[in-house]
Amino acid sequence: MGVRNAAGKIRRGADVINAVAFRNAQRFALALSVLFACGAARAQEYSTVSGDPGETGGKLVVALRSEPKTLNPILSVDATSREVIGALNADLVHINRETQRTEPGLAKTWNVSPDGRKYVLYLRRGLKFSDGAPFNADDVVFSFGLYLDESLHSPQRDLLVLDDKPIIVKKLDDYTVEFDLAKPYGPAERLFDGLAMLPRHLLEKSYKEGKLAQTWGTNTPPEEFAGLGAFKLKSYAPGQRLVLERNPNYWKKGQRGNQLPYLAELAFVFVPNEDAQVIKFQAGETQLLERANADNFAVLQKDAAAKGHCLVDLGPGLEFQFLLFNMNSLEPTKSRDLISKQSWFRDLRFRQAVSLVMDRKGMARLVYGGRATPIWGNVTPGNKLWLNTNLPHPERSLEEARKTLQSAGFSWNSAGALLDPQKKAVSFTILVSSSNAQRSKLATLAQDDLKQLGMDVQVVPMEFRALVDRVLNTKDYEAVLMNLVNGDVDPTPEMNLWLSSGETHLWDLGEKKPTTPWETELDHLMETQMTTADPAARKKLYDRVQEIVSQNLPFVFLVSPNILVGAQASVGNFRPAILEPYVLWNADQLFLRQGGTAKCR
Amino acid sequence: MADGMVRVARRIAHGCLLLLGVSALSFALLSLSPGNFFDELRLNPQISPDTVSALRAQYGMDHPWPVRYVRWIASGFRGDFGYSLSYNCPVGTLLWPRARNTLLLTALSTLLAWMIALPFGVFEALQRGKWRGRVGSILTATLLGIPELLLALLFLLLAAKTRWLPTGGMTSPDVADAGLLGLSRDFASHLVLPMVVLALGAMPLLTRYIRSAMVTVLDSPFIESARGHGIAHSRILYKYALPAAANSLISLLGFSIGALLSTSLLVEVVLSWPGLGPLVLEALLARDIYVVMAVVMLSSVFLVLGNLIADLLLYWSDPRIRTV
Amino acid sequence: MNYRRRTLVLILLLAALHLPILVPGFVAPYDYAQQNRELPFAPPNRLHFIDEGGTFHFRPFAYAWQQRADGSGDSYEEDRTHTYPLHLFVQGSPYSILGPWTVRLHLFGVQAPGQLFLVGTDDFGRDQFSRILYGGRISLFAGLLGTSLALFVGVLLGLISGYYGKWMDAVIMRFAELFLALPWLYLLFAVRAVLPLRIKTTEAFLLLVGVVGFVGWAKPARLVRGIVLSAKERTFALAAKAMGASDAHILRRHILPQTYGIILTTAALLVPQFILAEVTLSFLGLGVGEPMPSLGNLLGELQKYRVLTSYWWMYAPAVVLIVLFLAYQWASAMLQEKFAEVQM
Repeated sequence: MGVRNAAGKIRRGADVINAVAFRNAQRFALALSVLFACGAARAQEYSTVSGDPGETGGKLVVALRSEPKTLNPILSVDATSREVIGALNADLVHINRETQRTEPGLAKTWNVSPDGRKYVLYLRRGLKFSDGAPFNADDVVFSFGLYLDESLHSPQRDLLVLDDKPIIVKKLDDYTVEFDLAKPYGPAERLFDGLAMLPRHLLEKSYKEGKLAQTWGTNTPPEEFAGLGAFKLKSYAPGQRLVLERNPNYWKKGQRGNQLPYLAELAFVFVPNEDAQVIKFQAGETQLLERANADNFAVLQKDAAAKGHCLVDLGPGLEFQFLLFNMNSLEPTKSRDLISKQSWFRDLRFRQAVSLVMDRKGMARLVYGGRATPIWGNVTPGNKLWLNTNLPHPERSLEEARKTLQSAGFSWNSAGALLDPQKKAVSFTILVSSSNAQRSKLATLAQDDLKQLGMDVQVVPMEFRALVDRVLNTKDYEAVLMNLVNGDVDPTPEMNLWLSSGETHLWDLGEKKPTTPWETELDHLMETQMTTADPAARKKLYDRVQEIVSQNLPFVFLVSPNILVGAQASVGNFRPAILEPYVLWNADQLFLRQGGTAKCR
Repeated sequence: MADGMVRVARRIAHGCLLLLGVSALSFALLSLSPGNFFDELRLNPQISPDTVSALRAQYGMDHPWPVRYVRWIASGFRGDFGYSLSYNCPVGTLLWPRARNTLLLTALSTLLAWMIALPFGVFEALQRGKWRGRVGSILTATLLGIPELLLALLFLLLAAKTRWLPTGGMTSPDVADAGLLGLSRDFASHLVLPMVVLALGAMPLLTRYIRSAMVTVLDSPFIESARGHGIAHSRILYKYALPAAANSLISLLGFSIGALLSTSLLVEVVLSWPGLGPLVLEALLARDIYVVMAVVMLSSVFLVLGNLIADLLLYWSDPRIRTV
Repeated sequence: MNYRRRTLVLILLLAALHLPILVPGFVAPYDYAQQNRELPFAPPNRLHFIDEGGTFHFRPFAYAWQQRADGSGDSYEEDRTHTYPLHLFVQGSPYSILGPWTVRLHLFGVQAPGQLFLVGTDDFGRDQFSRILYGGRISLFAGLLGTSLALFVGVLLGLISGYYGKWMDAVIMRFAELFLALPWLYLLFAVRAVLPLRIKTTEAFLLLVGVVGFVGWAKPARLVRGIVLSAKERTFALAAKAMGASDAHILRRHILPQTYGIILTTAALLVPQFILAEVTLSFLGLGVGEPMPSLGNLLGELQKYRVLTSYWWMYAPAVVLIVLFLAYQWASAMLQEKFAEVQM
């Protein structure tokens, strides 16, 4: 036996020893991992969702009208960016889009101090970011520090500032955070929705270097991101698509205990043209249709059953379209013509007559194919929690409108033209944004309606920014047909609309004090409801606000377009809601049914 | 030779002056038209006006436009073409990938348009007065009467119904693992639709101009005499007529080159081609001023280039033009 | 067909296309803004000669449309209970011929409450036939206005630039490049913004078209200049110069005719381009405002998916445009022939 044989025997012997050792090591590792897994599972505090149990896997494709501008939650303003950011991140307290109420998010529970000024939130334990780093109160304090940092000019900052005092965030322990408000705030819980919790371990460095505004743009490589949302970034092709993949550390479970999200991938493709989006949906290239206009919805409906599309008309959302008359206090140097016309606009009876002659049903039928809801106030029936259901909805009546005008001193000449009390012919222009075809049509219908009262109205289409410039800056307009969308069902986000000193108090901008008694009452009501904790009391106050608005008509309300969405029948847990994002708010619960005949709910 | 070089050098110098002039005037126009990027933020009741003014100051937008213009030019020399207000990133990173996609599309579609228009225009000129020429006229009139947007939409519908071609975009999502052949095949199939639409849109104009140029030449005496001499028709066409018509054709070519970056904007939007189209349209409407400026400057460069090439070709090809 | 006959046919065609557009109020049975909110997207009325009872009438008649009970709001069936015969020279909605004079005579029509929608209605129930006539008027005017301005300035500068050459050529051509390169859209926005609100949108629109036309001189100028550069070296031009002819004479008698070809072609191509440009202008808020129709914004309606696939009569404006462009093309070709003969 030479060295070789001896070596061979030793090697074989070593092999045997190795094999045994290896098997033991395996058993040991297995035991360890089981222990570890159990321990980890126990440590991570999951949230269980209520949707249908689904099958894991699959890829969902959604078309977006424009590209997200940034993936940085501190800076995002536009809806598309917020939508994608929402899939990548999570917040402490979340508004369930279906019930429109708050529910626990990253914070599993919280309590409020009796004076309503201190909120203590208890975070879920054992949660990990998508890159595996642990999540705790340090990240929360860091994130709020960013939102509140004045040098970053985050649009989210203003929500967190009450009475010029920012919210104070204190870490009580690794999983408890305290929030101090300057005064009691009714909708305080809702503040947390949409405020993404950011990873301190990734962003602290660039923040200290002052480069936070440049981080987390769309071009950033996926490794530099980490979030607590259902998905994480996989790839981005400029101008084409953005692909997200499943976050293995997501903290929610389905009904049967499988970890969410069900989907393996969520892809966003950029399709700037609305009709092209519908064509793609019909061709089956996308599985969800985020928002269709009424015309395309009608086309889709024709063969929806045959093609396996589920089309849903969700009813009105939070958008309201209205006629705005210029009631600003203008300098005498401005057009004398405009100032004299304001005497009509400021007369409540004039506005009432305009409101009485508007053919809201015709507008809903002709412009939206019936898929819009006439409104007489700023709160639509889509807002289940806050709508004042006792408001009158006067039917369209030409005679009533005429009588109202007569009582205000208006008259008609032999040709049928309307004359004001000074015998001047009533004629004015309505500005409308040219980029929204439907609103231009509403303006045409309004013009025709007003013609029946003898008013000579001209519709002037104008590019959107030029129009906004006139409404906000130069105040050089007579009437405008425009829309506003409430950010939330809660009335507080639109404070600036109703407060006399508010920056979007459109009909009378720039006044610090109310100019009419009803505006005084509005100011008082809005400020009171903001600091009241009891929801029932707030509702009563806001009911009165709606009553005042509908009686005094600062806007002549027209219609609210319904929210129209669609999905292929193979998409499970498709439960669209009227709060944005309409179809993706429960993206973590969506799944694709494999095979079998799928049916719409 | 040296004379030619001097001429080229002089034209390039003129071109640079021109670009400067274009940049100044465009900047002025953009700044003076009403509305600005931040107005939309102001309409949002949840954002305070202080934040909006602070943002404006951060981007330097509260300085008067001549000051901003000078700063922009200065930074341009350093290679920084400004900052996009919407995307919060340097304009360059936004521009280059999309400009490349647009150029690819327009170069190929312009080539296709010329390849169709040239023989078609000559054909129409030769067949003028006969029924074949009339049919050709009707065809070009029809194509002319259909706006490009409508054409794009019709083709999109066709693609969706027949499933022969993809409905927009430039690549398929799962193409990354397809290998070179699969990649090029996928790219080609996405290219067909926008390329055909653009070519069909440009074709009628080109055809009519080419036809008109050919008609003028074909009616001239030297062609008549060539025919009288018994020279074959094809030889007349290729050796005598086409070169004589080259004058107008070259000017047209200059325009085609000059328009490479701007013709495809609307079609890109409808067919979701990831080029400059959707970017510029959004930036235009949102008043994202530096993005628009960058695209305008880029288009101007192409314009100057196109005219330069056309002029040089003109002097070189038409012996009747003496050097000026 | 010989030349004379062809010219006659062309003139008749052009007259047939332009005359109704000149006095749209007379030929159109309805006002362009008149809405029928119960009849959105109604198909064209069919003219019948034989009624329900089987009797033949010399005077054709139409039935009224009524909404189908089960329909989604835009499916219709004929209401066979009443017949509405077609009459010529009827009284209808008033329209103005010149200024404040209003007339009520229309070429044809049916008695209310019947309707005669020869080409169906749009989404507000407005008669498309009437709208095409009124729309044609303003579109044609805009197209001709823009084209004339562009050509007038363009040919002038192109001639000067090509003939005098050297530094004048350089200056004019650089200006041409400047004009081609600038984003005129913003100029249009700025102009629109400073116009008083009260100005009628049609007037504002024409002003904008004028601006676009005026700044559009660059392309024709370049094309003309190319021809002139070559023509001025031709023997006949050199000979005229040697004989002592003035510049103006040479330009007018010898050089200009060489450019007729390109001018006519450009004209026949610019008119459609200006008409179609209105589609883009409308999208950006610079077009003719509602309810005034124009061929451009009528075509804009067609660009919606639903209209494209469901309502075939909405294609009518496109057909009208195509016929119009054909006629202009044909006229331009004939004129080129005529001038080609003349200069030989």
